Amino acid sequence: MVKWWLLSAAFVLWTALGSVIVRPPADATRHGPGARTSVRIVSMAPNLTEILFALGLGPNLVGVTQDSDYPPAAAQKPTVGSFWQPSIEAVIAMRPDLVVTQTFAQHRELSRRLRRMGYRSLEVAVETVAGLSEGIAAIGEATGTTGQADALCASIRAEIDRLGTLTAGTHRVKVLWVVQREPLRVAGRNTFIHEMIELAGGENAIGPTVHIYPAVGSEQVIAARPEVIIEPAMLPGAMEQQRQQALAYWNRFENVPAVTAGRVYVIDGDVVSRLSPRLPVAIETIARCLRPDLFGD
Amino acid sequence: MHPSLTPRILLFRTALATALLVAIMLACAMIGPQDVSLKAALHRPPAGAAVSPDYEILVRVRIPRVLLAAMVGAALAASGVIFQALLGNPLADPYILGVSSGAGLGAMIAVIAGLNWTLWGRSPIAIFAFVGALGTVWLVWGIGRVTGRYQVTGLLLAGVVVNAFFSAMIMFLVSVAKSQQLHATLFWLMGNMTEEDFFVLWMGGGGIVAGITALYFLGPQLNVISVGHEDARSIGISVQRVECIAFAISAFITAVAVSLSGLVGFVGLIVPHAVRLLFGPDHRQLVPLSALVGAMFLVVADTAARMVVAPAQLPVGVVTAMIGGPFFLLLLVSHSRKVFWPR
Repeated sequence: MVKWWLLSAAFVLWTALGSVIVRPPADATRHGPGARTSVRIVSMAPNLTEILFALGLGPNLVGVTQDSDYPPAAAQKPTVGSFWQPSIEAVIAMRPDLVVTQTFAQHRELSRRLRRMGYRSLEVAVETVAGLSEGIAAIGEATGTTGQADALCASIRAEIDRLGTLTAGTHRVKVLWVVQREPLRVAGRNTFIHEMIELAGGENAIGPTVHIYPAVGSEQVIAARPEVIIEPAMLPGAMEQQRQQALAYWNRFENVPAVTAGRVYVIDGDVVSRLSPRLPVAIETIARCLRPDLFGD
Repeated sequence: MHPSLTPRILLFRTALATALLVAIMLACAMIGPQDVSLKAALHRPPAGAAVSPDYEILVRVRIPRVLLAAMVGAALAASGVIFQALLGNPLADPYILGVSSGAGLGAMIAVIAGLNWTLWGRSPIAIFAFVGALGTVWLVWGIGRVTGRYQVTGLLLAGVVVNAFFSAMIMFLVSVAKSQQLHATLFWLMGNMTEEDFFVLWMGGGGIVAGITALYFLGPQLNVISVGHEDARSIGISVQRVECIAFAISAFITAVAVSLSGLVGFVGLIVPHAVRLLFGPDHRQLVPLSALVGAMFLVVADTAARMVVAPAQLPVGVVTAMIGGPFFLLLLVSHSRKVFWPR
């Protein structure tokens, strides 16, 4: 019995000692966020890398994630792990003045860990078209490049408006955006892809759904009657191969207008799945699929 | 009972294993995707100057992570021993009574709800996982008690069904989650180590070491119980009381481990078996040695997880299964003649 009492006493003592000596961590930052020229920046996502390059901060970037390949200079930068599994050691080794992350759980966690060690981090939510402008503005503010940020947002806006005028008043083409073929998964209404389709003068063939990227059955595809089917290519090098597979797959839907009209497109996935300053390029790529006549194709 | 196990042999083996563990931890702290110079790390920076990156990486990233891996490995292996002994089932592991799915469901709810606060340095995922784990064990235990005479069968069945039910709920939440949220939880469900704050390590470590020590104290009773409940009763051991305490403690340390690192599989299943194959089934020895071997195993596995695809990293659960599986099969084949399965 004595040993049990001793064990309990030791445990209580240890716990008490811990709260006195080690103390619970405070979430305080050593230097808070605010306008400051950041000399060494680490980007934790390919689209954030694109934004930083567009703001002219390319030379300040000292680390990027593995899939950052645009602009080409980004691919030359040292990597700090993957988008989903960043390596905090690699980030620290870069001695960054600013780490820019997205806002989902893993990036929040990374940024919390970095802040605990006194690093400055900026979380930006770039998940919608409006969020892109806000994100660019926030990065501009944190890096002292507000002027460039405003100009960048304005030029993106102008490009989008130009495309909007081009497609305005025309028939809204019904688009099925295929994220994955087997099992079939498409882009729902609560995505930036949906926004891009609308900005390109189209309409999402899928109505409101519970899921963000809903899995749909053949029945829904037939009922949705899409006029155009778009598949973003997962591997840029294998676009032609994916096009062949897509045609073979979609030919089974004889009554879908997109199939009968031969309007199944496989497009560059990188441009359309990253919400970056290349957004107008993405919208134009989609618009060219929807209304080739407007672009003289 | 193994008369050959004298206190001296036990002490010697434990001390040797502890020394080995410390050596492995030190070695693994020196291995990582970034080259770290020990000299630079230990060099004291002049007052006011920033600490060197070597110091920061070694002391604030790697050492906490190695310590965490050791704690989690020890907790899972020790509670694996207890679950195998009490359930009399070689397939038992710390997760068999629903800890994993309960914790997983808790974590999933925290992620989907998008909670973003910290309590004593712990994220909502960890806290929800801890509560989910303990709540589930309590539920399963309660159902098991109702089944009365066939308690072990009842417990196992209740565990399996609750696991399946909660897994289905996890799958439901996975299917409605945003793809980004999904990724965060997938890594958690496969075991995800990060460096933790020293306060968290201190508290978690205290709880785990105290728990393992208590399980060690129960070793002699567990030895008798694993021979047979009737025998144990006949020499005056209150079987139910011992079972209850042992279950509660192992569930507690498992919940602590799970809330620290997500669901690291395999350690709690194979380490106790490996130790039993090599050193015999005496629980006085099985508990401390399994804990130490579990710690070594997870420290090594986590180092591999950090290194294989560096600078990215793998979920540690993938590595434990990939190293542990073949290694255990090898051990099983070479030692199968002297197997002493519980009961």
